[in-house]
Amino acid sequence: MIVEFTLNGEKVKYDVRPDKRVLDFFRDELGLTGPKEACGEGECGACTIIVDGLNVHSCLMLAAELDGKDVWTIEGLKGPGEKLHPIQEAFVEAGAIQCGFCTPGMVMSTKVLLDNNPSPTREEIKKALEGNLCRCTGYYKIIEAVELAAEKLKGDG
Amino acid sequence: MGFDVFLPESEDELMTLLMRENAKIMAGGTDLLVRIRAGRINPDKIISLSKIQGMNEITDVGDRIRVGCRVTHSMALNSNVLKEHSPIMLMALKEIGSPQIRNRGTIVGNVVNASPAGDSLIPLYLSNAKVVIHGPKGERKLPIEEFIKGPGKTALSMGEFVRAVEFEKSGSWHPLFYKVGQRTAMAIAIASLGLLIKGDNLRIAFGSVAPTVVRAYKAERYFKRSNGIITVMDEFMERCLEYVSPIDDIRASAWYRKEVIKNLLKSAFDFWRKKVL
Repeated sequence: MIVEFTLNGEKVKYDVRPDKRVLDFFRDELGLTGPKEACGEGECGACTIIVDGLNVHSCLMLAAELDGKDVWTIEGLKGPGEKLHPIQEAFVEAGAIQCGFCTPGMVMSTKVLLDNNPSPTREEIKKALEGNLCRCTGYYKIIEAVELAAEKLKGDG
Repeated sequence: MGFDVFLPESEDELMTLLMRENAKIMAGGTDLLVRIRAGRINPDKIISLSKIQGMNEITDVGDRIRVGCRVTHSMALNSNVLKEHSPIMLMALKEIGSPQIRNRGTIVGNVVNASPAGDSLIPLYLSNAKVVIHGPKGERKLPIEEFIKGPGKTALSMGEFVRAVEFEKSGSWHPLFYKVGQRTAMAIAIASLGLLIKGDNLRIAFGSVAPTVVRAYKAERYFKRSNGIITVMDEFMERCLEYVSPIDDIRASAWYRKEVIKNLLKSAFDFWRKKVL
């Protein structure tokens, strides 16, 4: 099945096996290994990507459904010049990454939050990240990273 | 996995595809794909609704609200119609899964999955919802209590699909929704309770403690007979517990579920005495 969609800002066209999950298609065929698989059933959020402005699980979406969509993975996030995206920088600076497995999903959910709400409260941050599990950090540094990212993004604007 | 995927763009195309054997409709896929991967179901054909135009209406239809089959939990949470006329629905939707699940999962998907733990089903039962079914013979409507026959079992026949749900506005009722899970986010309910109170009228429903979501009609009638003044809590509770027949499963024991319901009832009444009386 031919699908045409926008991937990380570029128009693309692929012949996909329609029953393949987006997660497997991205990782195995496109080499986009940012989205991770942990639970495979929509609990952990490690496979989070952005589709038409919303964060969704790539493990619960079929490749056939990509047609016509605007899709972002963490590979598409970039800052000015060759730098990291401000959200990525904030995660590094706040020490919000330990093993790093949940980080791409956390960053993508943070992106959706800050795109819609540039100055979230702590409660809003917790609510926005409730579908992203981290086994290492205890979440405090992740919440601090989101606050730092919000400041950085406002500084840019 | 191994199945064909179809992406109809109109209701006519959808109806034609539904006449094929062993086909399943997928809206958000948040339950269906999990069940396929776990090997619990094995459809040959998946009919995705992702390219259908429309069917995502949230409309005010007099004393009722109509929610189309492609309305996600997130769309419903942002709807002014629902905010104004069904606060109980919003309370329940906020408890569902996570942003990722709410961005894909649909209210009608909850209805068709017919899980006794479906969070959005409690407000639908409390609001006397009717399920709008489209099929080869046209349209029919069934009360949700007749549509959902048991865990995962519905009254849908071959070739039919659920086009929408319609349910009563309840903006003038006092809503309450309690859900107990293993943790706050993402958890599937161990037991849940929803109620609507207006004067001496009460509606009360339980989730995850019977084969389907249940309304405790005897308790509702008892409340009305008592003119909304419950002095003996035990009498009321007894009438509620007649509807509670939980099972032991991976999330909790039957005994624990019953205890949770009793405690939720006590909390509900404490809350109600403070707020309403």
